[in-house]
Amino acid sequence: MGDLFVLAISCIFINNILLAQFLGNCPFLGTSKKMETAVGMAMAVVFVLVLAGLITWVLDIYLLKAFNLEYLRTVSFILVIASLVQFVEMFLKKSIPGLYAGLGIFLPLITTNCAVMGVCLINIKEEYTFVEAAVSSFAYAVGFGLALILFAGVRERINLARVPKPLQDTSIGLVTAGIIALTFMSFKGMV
Amino acid sequence: MAQSLAKEFTKGLWAEIPPFRLVLGLCPVLAVTKSVENGIGMGVATTFVLVFSNLLISLLRNVIPSKVRIACYIVIIATFVTIVELVMQAYTYELFLKLGIFIPLIVVNCIVLGRAEAFASKNGPVLSVADGLGIGLGFTLSLAALGAVREFLGNGTLTIWEGLPVFEMGAGFLPFKFMIEAPGAFVGLGLMLCLMNLIGKK
Amino acid sequence: MREMISMIVVLTVLTAVSGGLLAAVKSGTEVQIENQILKFQKAPAIQDIFPEATNDPLAERFTIKTEDTELQIFPTLLSDGSKAIAFETKGGAFGGPIGLMVGINLSTDEIVDVRVTTHAETPGIGTRAKDDLSFVSQFSGLKIDTNFALKGDGGVIDAMSGATVTSKGVSVAAAQAKDIYQKLKPEIVKQMK
Repeated sequence: MGDLFVLAISCIFINNILLAQFLGNCPFLGTSKKMETAVGMAMAVVFVLVLAGLITWVLDIYLLKAFNLEYLRTVSFILVIASLVQFVEMFLKKSIPGLYAGLGIFLPLITTNCAVMGVCLINIKEEYTFVEAAVSSFAYAVGFGLALILFAGVRERINLARVPKPLQDTSIGLVTAGIIALTFMSFKGMV
Repeated sequence: MAQSLAKEFTKGLWAEIPPFRLVLGLCPVLAVTKSVENGIGMGVATTFVLVFSNLLISLLRNVIPSKVRIACYIVIIATFVTIVELVMQAYTYELFLKLGIFIPLIVVNCIVLGRAEAFASKNGPVLSVADGLGIGLGFTLSLAALGAVREFLGNGTLTIWEGLPVFEMGAGFLPFKFMIEAPGAFVGLGLMLCLMNLIGKK
Repeated sequence: MREMISMIVVLTVLTAVSGGLLAAVKSGTEVQIENQILKFQKAPAIQDIFPEATNDPLAERFTIKTEDTELQIFPTLLSDGSKAIAFETKGGAFGGPIGLMVGINLSTDEIVDVRVTTHAETPGIGTRAKDDLSFVSQFSGLKIDTNFALKGDGGVIDAMSGATVTSKGVSVAAAQAKDIYQKLKPEIVKQMK
């Protein structure tokens, strides 16, 4: 139990997926201009990442590793993630329209969000057990949401500031992200 | 024909150079540019995937039903990515270890899928290859440039390829370690983007 | 309906071709990849553990099969003439599997030296154990039946400060080496000519 807690902490803070591992940066910069979209994206990622992490783990252990087909990992993972996203979208549309209204537009973007594919690959590379994979997927997703929402909060303030013209938009966004990454670096050595 | 070919090729080098003009595919840009060598390696791998997936998708553009086109593109791209992964593992093992999971992640690099959807699915094979080469080369140049800035400031060296140190600062130079850590990637890219804006909008 | 069929046919053909192509590339690169892993991960570790080896442990390697796994054994002769072997184990602490090459003197059952083999894929993890030789050198000279746990857990190994988890991974790998060695020693001795 203690180990799982440490694992969760390290996935959320120390190895934060956006700021330390550099995965999922396109939506990080793309959806952080408004708090509302940032929250939507964060929720959608938590939802899909946990599902994808577990499904790809089962697929890898019971199919790919069992039949020595590891070289098909990239192809099969991306197909699983793409169809999972489609499926989740259809399911939400039919059964939980309220949630769909909130997450709907973010779901298609998630297929090419490398955070999802990245965490699935990390789960396999680090040889996690099923429970560990579940914890790490969830914790990485929470870390993603945390960084994204923090960043969106800062960015809303930047909109009010006077930024030199060449630095505007993505450029100042990246510099700000760098400073937030610096604060996250202080978590290093905690575990 | 030759003119449009040249145009498709050169647009990737300046007018639409990723990731500066097209802000796509940032993750590998930030993650692997600790040194010039890593940047070039990643750029070449991505270029290979871009060129071949563009070529194949363009050849098959009339066969692929539009409803499942994204799935088809993904299969094609993933196949070439795996080929790159295996070949790199077999012949440039050290680089393969340094780039780690970012090689399989070329699959979800928005640039590759973006070019397939926006260009290769509408144009002939020759133009698509030119487009892939141009964008790929532009991507490689950007990665190498950012890698150069970070390696130079953060480590005091510039190495184009293994065992070929082009430049090394004297012992008096105190490396600016911040640049090769995670925050340096963001700040470095942000400032380079600013520089591009300055030059571009005279 | 026709559209449906064409969709399914195209996708099936495409995935089949992709699978076939990849299988071909895979079998074409397999031997080369194994050589690369030996050359870049195992060879440097073995060289560090047995600096005075008079033979080529890599060329003389042999494998031992147990029920569930295969183990590669790298044999060598130490300068005092006693036989020694090295093999690799993995510590499954979270934060990534840590590979540990363990060299053991067959006649005294003492650890000659250990080295961390896996390359850090995530920044920071494992690198300390690889570079900080004062940590791994704690193992050299210990009897193989020592309790390799960290001091906090009742063993004899000092953890690296600020890298407890990595230290734990290494100690788990060493403990695993103990189990393997004690189980397979007769088999190993039999196969050493």
